[in-house]
Amino acid sequence: MVKDIVLKTTNLRKSYGKTTAVDGIDLSFHTGEFVGLLGPNGAGKTTTIKMLSGLTKPTDGSITYFGLDFHSNQRFAKGVIGCVPQINNLDRDLTAYENMYHHALLYNVKDDSTNEKIMIALEFADLINYTHRQVKTFSGGTMRRLVIARALLHEPKLLFLDEPTVGLDPQIRRDIWDYILKVNQVKNTTILLTTHYIEEAERLCKRVLIINKGRIIAEGVPDTLKKDMGRYVLEVFKQEGIEERFFETRNEALASLKECQETCKIREVTLEDVFLKLTGRRIDA
Amino acid sequence: MLNGLKAVLYREYTVFRKRAVKQIISSSVPPLLFLIAFGWGLGRQVNVGDLPYISFLVPGLIAMNSLNQCFAISAEINIARFYFHTFDEYLIAPVSEYEVVLGLTIFGMFRGFLSTLIIFIYTLLFGVQLILNPVFFIALAMHAFIFSALAVTTSMLVQDHSGQNLVTSFVITPMIFLCGTFFPVDKLPTAFKYLVLALPLTYSTKVIRATLTGGAVQYGYIYVLLIYCIIFFITAIWTLKRVEA
Repeated sequence: MVKDIVLKTTNLRKSYGKTTAVDGIDLSFHTGEFVGLLGPNGAGKTTTIKMLSGLTKPTDGSITYFGLDFHSNQRFAKGVIGCVPQINNLDRDLTAYENMYHHALLYNVKDDSTNEKIMIALEFADLINYTHRQVKTFSGGTMRRLVIARALLHEPKLLFLDEPTVGLDPQIRRDIWDYILKVNQVKNTTILLTTHYIEEAERLCKRVLIINKGRIIAEGVPDTLKKDMGRYVLEVFKQEGIEERFFETRNEALASLKECQETCKIREVTLEDVFLKLTGRRIDA
Repeated sequence: MLNGLKAVLYREYTVFRKRAVKQIISSSVPPLLFLIAFGWGLGRQVNVGDLPYISFLVPGLIAMNSLNQCFAISAEINIARFYFHTFDEYLIAPVSEYEVVLGLTIFGMFRGFLSTLIIFIYTLLFGVQLILNPVFFIALAMHAFIFSALAVTTSMLVQDHSGQNLVTSFVITPMIFLCGTFFPVDKLPTAFKYLVLALPLTYSTKVIRATLTGGAVQYGYIYVLLIYCIIFFITAIWTLKRVEA
């Protein structure tokens, strides 16, 4: 089945003076896809999201939504995207409902169904008990849920999630993951998620784009990207650092472990290893 | 239609409703102090032309206080842009820039009118006679529109809070003191006189004072204010179109 191309970019570029933040990236997303943009801090992830959502203007290149140029069809394009920024940009003086209602007005959600839609969105986000509470009393995780619920209120075709779980504790992070997966599966919303958490990309994304220094350096299904490295890695802890040896099977890795004189550890290959091999540095370095 | 305008007004009104008491109290104090110090204290001994100084001062205070209240929205937009990032919602929403500027400007005007109402209450307490006519309200609306639009422009141009303070120190405060709010412009040295003739506050203060004190209104100034309204509104839209998060 041929799916709609929701978003397509060609040679997208952003420079700030002599610094190039995004260096000519080509993206193409289909309906219902869950794509991860994985890279270290400063790789160009947030700048990419800012250009795609209209927060900043590209220096060069084109962006199209459903085949229509973003720049000349801004009203249409901005109406089909939802954006969850890194920072919880909620009005803290307003209640959850008031924040949602403000968003409903901005996105022209029809008056006769606004209230119902807000309540459904809050219910879906498990925030119904917070409806009339001021946002400044919320925890970080609750705020995060509300930001995502707000971005979904106008039923966008494409949702941008910029580091959605950064700064959250592990349990809240898993709750947010479940919520995001539900959005993708139940509503068939195309999702582009940026992250520097390996586990997040591996668990959520069907396709991963690895970005470094403003360029996409690898792209594919997480398992396939990892398989190209081998399935297991033997970490040898040497004085000069950790040496990594890759193997197709666990038995091969175990055989190598037996010959090892230093402290060694066997683990499964992760996307971090893919990134390390491609760039020579770690994502969190 | 105009969903952006509705959204901005809803947000500003809802926030204002929650902060109303604090905002009204804070905007009530400075004009009261001016009235006591310059109106009662100094003003009893002084006349400006045929007017007692306090009658001369009140229109100036209205112009000054409403300007301050209108321009104060720039600091709030600044906080929304650089601290809470709530302003980003307007940049990514499917709304026109003119709707956002118009919404913010109307809210700034509302604050300007509210501060004027406070001064009217003071004038009753101080026994100052004022004449109210429709031209006064037209002039005040234009005055509030100009400085609210200027507030939006400023908040789009500055890159941080210190930039905001620079504009207040080097543009707003000198304008307040030199444009005829506290003393007639014709008492200024010639060089300053030409400078203040380029500033909109000079014209709005003159029209506001003339209407409230029963003086002759120079209707040409209304057209000057209208031109400023158009220029400042277009400039605000232009700066918002160029702003990036």
